[in-house]
Amino acid sequence: MATDRQSFDEIDWAQIDEETEREISPNFIIVAVGTALMGLVWAFDYFFVTGTYDAAIGMDFGNQYTPTFQFIGWGYDVTQLDWLFAFSLLLFGAYMILPLYQNPRMTKYYWRDMKRNRPAMASLGWLLFIFVIGVIGPAVIKAPTVDLMTKYQPPMFLEINNIYPINCAGDVVGGACQGSLEHPLGTTGDGKDIFRIIVYGMQISMKIGFIATLFVVTIGSIVGTVAAYAGGLVDEVLMRWVDIQQSFPTFILYLLILYIYGASLFLFIVLFSLFSWEGTARYVRSNALAKTEEEYIKAVQLSGASTYRVIRSHIMPNSASSIVTDITLLIPSFILFEAQFAFLGLGDSTIPSWGVLIAQGRSDLAFAPWITLIPGLFLFFTILAFNFLGDALLDALNPEADAEAEK
Amino acid sequence: MSPVTEEPILSVRNLKKHYPITEGILSRQVGAAKAVDGISFDIAEGETLGLVGESGCGKSTAASSIIRLEEATEGEVIFNGGGRAGRSREGDGAHPNDVTTFDDEELKSFRRDAQMIFQDPSSSLDPRMTVGSSVAELLLVHGMTDKQRRREIVEDLLERVGLEADYYDRYPHEFSGGQKQRIALARALVLNPEFIVADEPVSALDVSIRAEILSLLNDIQEEFGLSMLFISHDMSVVREVCDRVAVMYLGEIVEIGDTDEVFRNPQHPYTEALLSAIPRPDPSAEQENIELKGTVPSPTNPPSGCKFHTRCHMVIQSDEFDLEQERWRSLLTFRDRVRSGEVDPESIREALAFEADDLSAVDDETIKDELRTEFELAEELSDPEAESILQDALDALAEGRMEDANDHLSTFTTPCEEQVPEETDHGNGHISACLRNKPETEHGAPLADD
Repeated sequence: MATDRQSFDEIDWAQIDEETEREISPNFIIVAVGTALMGLVWAFDYFFVTGTYDAAIGMDFGNQYTPTFQFIGWGYDVTQLDWLFAFSLLLFGAYMILPLYQNPRMTKYYWRDMKRNRPAMASLGWLLFIFVIGVIGPAVIKAPTVDLMTKYQPPMFLEINNIYPINCAGDVVGGACQGSLEHPLGTTGDGKDIFRIIVYGMQISMKIGFIATLFVVTIGSIVGTVAAYAGGLVDEVLMRWVDIQQSFPTFILYLLILYIYGASLFLFIVLFSLFSWEGTARYVRSNALAKTEEEYIKAVQLSGASTYRVIRSHIMPNSASSIVTDITLLIPSFILFEAQFAFLGLGDSTIPSWGVLIAQGRSDLAFAPWITLIPGLFLFFTILAFNFLGDALLDALNPEADAEAEK
Repeated sequence: MSPVTEEPILSVRNLKKHYPITEGILSRQVGAAKAVDGISFDIAEGETLGLVGESGCGKSTAASSIIRLEEATEGEVIFNGGGRAGRSREGDGAHPNDVTTFDDEELKSFRRDAQMIFQDPSSSLDPRMTVGSSVAELLLVHGMTDKQRRREIVEDLLERVGLEADYYDRYPHEFSGGQKQRIALARALVLNPEFIVADEPVSALDVSIRAEILSLLNDIQEEFGLSMLFISHDMSVVREVCDRVAVMYLGEIVEIGDTDEVFRNPQHPYTEALLSAIPRPDPSAEQENIELKGTVPSPTNPPSGCKFHTRCHMVIQSDEFDLEQERWRSLLTFRDRVRSGEVDPESIREALAFEADDLSAVDDETIKDELRTEFELAEELSDPEAESILQDALDALAEGRMEDANDHLSTFTTPCEEQVPEETDHGNGHISACLRNKPETEHGAPLADD
């Protein structure tokens, strides 16, 4: 073939032999740079903001309001959870969203499948909405505050007997206070604006989802692949540990810690995600074992690739779709857990989460049902959306199954 | 096209692959599945050796042990390609080119010289990687960090195997089976190897596409002077592709020789049976169709002597008897089945009684007749002595005395189960392992006139 192109039989391997096989991917660079930047800001927050505050009062109370970006006039206090949230967003962006852009053909292929599923598309839209508002909202909108003067304001287009609110923000028609734009979703019994709580609650739900995913996927994949690849005693020990942990009553441990140290969202998320990776680990292990039998894995091994490369470039991407599906069904259970604990009064009652709001409206159901209903609907639709999306992903992310069916 | 070079590119010596069978918590080894049990052959430069046999005979295990996808239990695989030629054994007898003892570095450079094509094209490509990156990955693994160069090489190669350069960015699910196998071939070629193992490369493809892939394989082999180990269960494909052929049965090579020679003049009954299974386009041609009964015995507990004796249609008679070959085969099969407890006269009785609606109507004679029909034992054996032993055995069986029946039948023995056949050289590298082929044999005529 008379071309001026490079041809495989003209390679002088003796020349190439010394070079390394590792390539640094742009995704990794993004994560590394992002983590480094975050590390800097964290160090600044820890040593100069929180540190000086603690030094000023002479002791560390923890959970103090220490606005990180005071110097530019932004009064947002970045907490431990925010750091974790930011880190998980970084990973999500670099390893979930960026690859979609990097592999346009594959993305298009999935998208074509996904598009046909209307409930899934609606769910995706809803979750995107929750995500965007949840991430940006709390930075822009002020936190809900207690103001007894504005208690029991009804939402727009609803009304309430004027004996409940002290000061009706809207018009009073025939002894009933009408909803107004000032509090579009009404207020609670202590005058907190429900709209703001919903927006803050979105962030809390997203934090629960993302941080739990970060823990579950990281630990689960590592334990799963190590067990599958090491085999023997390591496999045995890890999998028996998974068995033990799966039968461990996390709820009781949570209660115990709660009574000693008090409830916090951080505790909830970390504790429950540290005790929920068993299913993923088991799944990743069995998947890795099944995949090593595939001929394409044998072909890669035959190419002389390292075990790291086999796992990183072939086992992981091929397990990813199933892990994603697994996770979309795991996240809603976390969000629901948080809401249930809040309702039972076992959560952190100071945070503006949907669950806390539902619990708050409990005693006012007779005359102000929206306090419970509005967050309840948000919770319901979010969980429904996750389930629909998980189902659609299961169908879309499986080209092998499709190919089998076409045969 | 017989090998003429002095040093073969690949020489396999007494290769064994046993899978341990373990029991209990402590993984105590209680036995081994002898998937490959001592095979030896050479492949000369530019030559294609066919490895044929039924499924489960160990051909694929042999391939993966040779290319060191699995660690061999015993034996040597000496690979003289890739600038390794001319090295000789060291003082302790170890060969520096023995693939089974390569360290990581040597193994990696061996990977550049020997590659493999797999059977199922739909599972041999990573479904989540573009086919271009799947092929280019090998270049990356071996240190080519220049992305543009990798792409150029792979695009050129895709065109050479009959595809288009812009297929680089497509995914495996966008291709047909034949196209995928071309891509798999490109992947095997991209490191410019000297030796390729093709593990049933066309058996998963449509018949119409087979010929295309086979001729592509042939062209490429000629262009780049590749040596090949071609594994197949399809004798007609082997005849097309291979210069020499090795026939495997239960982990051993029973016959090896030039393809023409083996096809024209098979020396082992197993080869003969495989060859008789090739469909012929001429309907008027008389063809003896040899049917092999039963399946390949389990490699965990292979038969003694010649491993093929449990199914061999040419199994040697003992000197005491003189029966038709067919009856002798039936008799031995019957003996083996009784011995393994698979013959149950009671269930025959019940089945017959069910048809006749009366248990008492089924007498011993009926059962004996039934057994004779089932095992094709004829109404009466031509050898009176054999007939009387069989009669005794059948009586014992009908009366439920299994032990006695077993004892009676044990009189029938064949040298095939006692002696391990040695290799017989028929000249020109044609070797077979069958007791009938020993020149000094007293067990009847050899299989074919030599």
